[in-house]
Amino acid sequence: MHEFLAQLANGVELGAIYALIALGYTLVYGILELINFAHGDVYTFGSFTALVVLVALRAANVLHGAGLILGIVAALVVAILACALLNAGIERLAYRRLRKAPRLAPLITAIGVSFMLENLIELWQGSAPVPFPNVIPNPELEIGALQIGVQQIVVVALAVVTMIALHYFVQRSRLGKAMRAVAQDRDAAALVGIDVDRTIAVTFLIAGALAGVAGFVGGVSFGSAWFLNGFGAGLRAFTAAVLGGIGNIAGAMLGGFLIGLLESFSTWFIGGQWSNVAVFSVLILVLVFRPSGLLGESLPEKV
Amino acid sequence: MIYAYAFVAIAACVGIERFHDRRVKIAIALALAAFLAIAPRFYGNEAVFSVLADAAVYVMLALGLNIVVGFAGLLDLGYAAFFAIGAYTYGMLASPQFGLHLPFWVLLFLAAALAALFGALLGAPTLRLHGDYLAIVTLGFGEIVPQIFQNLTKYTGGPNGIAALDVPTFFGHSFGASVMPYYYIALVGIVFALWISRNLRESRLGRAWMAIREDELAAKHAGIDVLRSKLAAFAIGASFSGIGGVLFAAKLALVSPDLFGFQVSVLIVSMLVLGGMGNIVGVVVGSLLLTIVNSALLPQINSLVDSTFHTTVDLSNIHFLIYGAILVGIMLFRPEGLLPNKERRAELHHAGEPEAEA
Amino acid sequence: MSILDLVQVTKRFGALTAVSNVTVTVEEGAIFGIIGPNGAGKSTLFNLLTAIYRFDEGSIAIGGTSIAGLTTQRIAKLGVARTFQNLRLFGNASALANVMVGEHLLLRANVVDSLLDTARERRERAEAERRARELLRFVGIAGVDEQFARNLPYGTQRRLEIARALAARPRLLLLDEPAAGLNPSEKRDLLTLIRAIRDTGATVLLIEHDMGLVMNLCERIAVLDYGVKIAEGAPSEIREHPRVIEAYLGAPA
Ligand SMILES: Nc1ncnc2c1ncn2[C@@H]1O[C@H](COP(=O)(O)OP(=O)(O)O)[C@@H](O)[C@H]1O
Ligand SMILES: [Mg+2]
Repeated sequence: MHEFLAQLANGVELGAIYALIALGYTLVYGILELINFAHGDVYTFGSFTALVVLVALRAANVLHGAGLILGIVAALVVAILACALLNAGIERLAYRRLRKAPRLAPLITAIGVSFMLENLIELWQGSAPVPFPNVIPNPELEIGALQIGVQQIVVVALAVVTMIALHYFVQRSRLGKAMRAVAQDRDAAALVGIDVDRTIAVTFLIAGALAGVAGFVGGVSFGSAWFLNGFGAGLRAFTAAVLGGIGNIAGAMLGGFLIGLLESFSTWFIGGQWSNVAVFSVLILVLVFRPSGLLGESLPEKV
Repeated sequence: MIYAYAFVAIAACVGIERFHDRRVKIAIALALAAFLAIAPRFYGNEAVFSVLADAAVYVMLALGLNIVVGFAGLLDLGYAAFFAIGAYTYGMLASPQFGLHLPFWVLLFLAAALAALFGALLGAPTLRLHGDYLAIVTLGFGEIVPQIFQNLTKYTGGPNGIAALDVPTFFGHSFGASVMPYYYIALVGIVFALWISRNLRESRLGRAWMAIREDELAAKHAGIDVLRSKLAAFAIGASFSGIGGVLFAAKLALVSPDLFGFQVSVLIVSMLVLGGMGNIVGVVVGSLLLTIVNSALLPQINSLVDSTFHTTVDLSNIHFLIYGAILVGIMLFRPEGLLPNKERRAELHHAGEPEAEA
Repeated sequence: MSILDLVQVTKRFGALTAVSNVTVTVEEGAIFGIIGPNGAGKSTLFNLLTAIYRFDEGSIAIGGTSIAGLTTQRIAKLGVARTFQNLRLFGNASALANVMVGEHLLLRANVVDSLLDTARERRERAEAERRARELLRFVGIAGVDEQFARNLPYGTQRRLEIARALAARPRLLLLDEPAAGLNPSEKRDLLTLIRAIRDTGATVLLIEHDMGLVMNLCERIAVLDYGVKIAEGAPSEIREHPRVIEAYLGAPA
């Protein structure tokens, strides 16, 4: 029972991170029908920028008391900004020119960008995992039979708050409405006066910002950052997005938590070395049997 | 020295591509084959031919993937899985692992068949998927296969893989420690792969692939069995990779799961993209260029930099950057590749037509 | 003998009934016209015949064989070939290759033949190529053989698509607005061509907006409006039919 609850908490924590990344895939796919393969590496970049900020602040010896809170906020904000700009920069430089190209061209480009980012991050931070400063105190709380770390609560809380904010942004704000309009029909949106280029850029900014949050909480949660983290996490998150129904925001969150739980329970039952196999099997099964995902609606192809 | 070989080969390929007369093309090809077969007697050493043999294996892989991506238009991001299946076929059946020591030549065919079988097994449920979904599913498959090899320690040696693989023999003569037999086998393999590629391109099946790539719906209306044709592309492409895997494993005398990751699949896609998807000669040039850069140019620049500046830079670290830059640069600025297939050139430049209403 | 029997066929898209309870019989060897305003469900009818869509009710038989549950590819094997309202050529392939794809079902070469370039493969290829050139000539576009389909002028592309459909030697040829976008002289050629096609023994089912062409060519015409067949008969009857006039003029009778 203890073990079960611990795995449940783990799964939810992992799931929160995957959900945040999955939202980035889903937003971009929704608007461009592009699998932004580099998205996972933007997440890695977020982890490292947060890490670098925290390491610098720790070296300056300001991480205590109110300084600790401010430092954490600073690291989070820097990660968000850096990832948002990086993601939008990628869109501007690599994808925009290819909007009218055959579909495989932007995907191949995205894979290329991903490889370049991974290699650049490796050149920057080395090929070994780098420990992430342990800034959030992590006493274990006991709630009934459930043992849970404060850190886990912070991670999940931060993710959930971010997702709620995103939900309101997309549903209520003008930009959010523009995003939905462009996602639905780019030409029609342009006809009613929406600036499509700008809306797409904003989408990448937001997706990047989410990856920044994910990078920060991922660093906190895993206690390290590694240049290849984004590959595995990105694929899991993409699987989550597909499982939930790609293009569907609620679906990405649901999928994220499901994949997180799948990973933690498959690790528990059949061992961590099989969790990759489990996750990818889910991906293949979903794509083959229900490509529209759990919450997505299947549209008949108009011929 | 290695550059001399590569240069001759690439120049010949460009020649074949540029001349229109069939007889000239054939003459150049024969001259090149003769040169590559005879020159080692006079010129070169084991190290050079080791790199060239590897290059030749990659050319075979790229030609196989070209059938899937270039001909049938299916982006396969897990192609290294079939390479792994070929290599492990040799690793498990020609080593002390099970005490089985099946002959190299038999395993060459067995691996081709097994890889084709797995290609079909993967393809059967997934080939209904379109475009990037198929790409991601194949990627997932490509991740699963090495992972399975890694996890089934009892049979595959786990993360360490299997070492001390059998040294092949040829009519009782052991290959010994020399790389030359692999070089020659790989050359023959390339010639065979080129011949098959050309046959397919001109064939009924090749036209079906073209139709599927261009407009799947119209292809169905012509009575083409789309699923079967795609399966054939997957299986045939995979079989090339299976053969390449056996050669690779036998030459290295080792297999381990980390040799077949996603990077390998992307490397081969990069070769295709660089040379020009769909173009047989272009693919050869692309894979030669990339292998030479990887295994000769980078290490040499590396040691040059180190000896000049007394540093210990590690340039083997920038492979990903190079593949990535190739993929991005070519897609943005020359989507048809260095030596485009004329069909693909048109396609990549005019694409983006909306799905028409029937 | 009838080659095509539709009995009370209905197709819905959500709330919209695109084809409603349509019954049509087409006799072998006929040139049969389907007309009706835009959005009447004509193309949808073709899409039902080639199983792009599944019909919700009714039955369709081609040459006496029910096509319920058959795939597009199986229906092609029954001898049905078509063109599309918006051309669907293989744009980045030569005109010749386009037509040769149309011959797919006439060829017997299997995977092994294709891999090894066997004698059968080569013989069939030579034969297919010869027939394809002949077809290009037959539809009046000889000489464009090696050019990419997408680089051809519009009218030529239309004929190329007909040649590709003919390459399968269909018993039933479905033409979806073949005259759309053609100039008057091209339309006259098309008329001659369709007659010549019929004279080879094929049945032609023709969707067309150009009334002159339809009235001239077709022995029988069915009229669709909002998915419903409102009239069927010889051109002279259709011309006089009050409901047709109403549908076309949009005025209540
Ligand atoms: N795939 C589809 N999904 C929804 N509606 C469709 C689809 N295909 C056609 N329709 C609708 O069915 C009606 C008939 O269309 P169509 O058969 O193309 O008419 P036409 O007689 O002009 O060829 C139209 O209202 C069209 O919008
Ligand atoms: Mg129509």
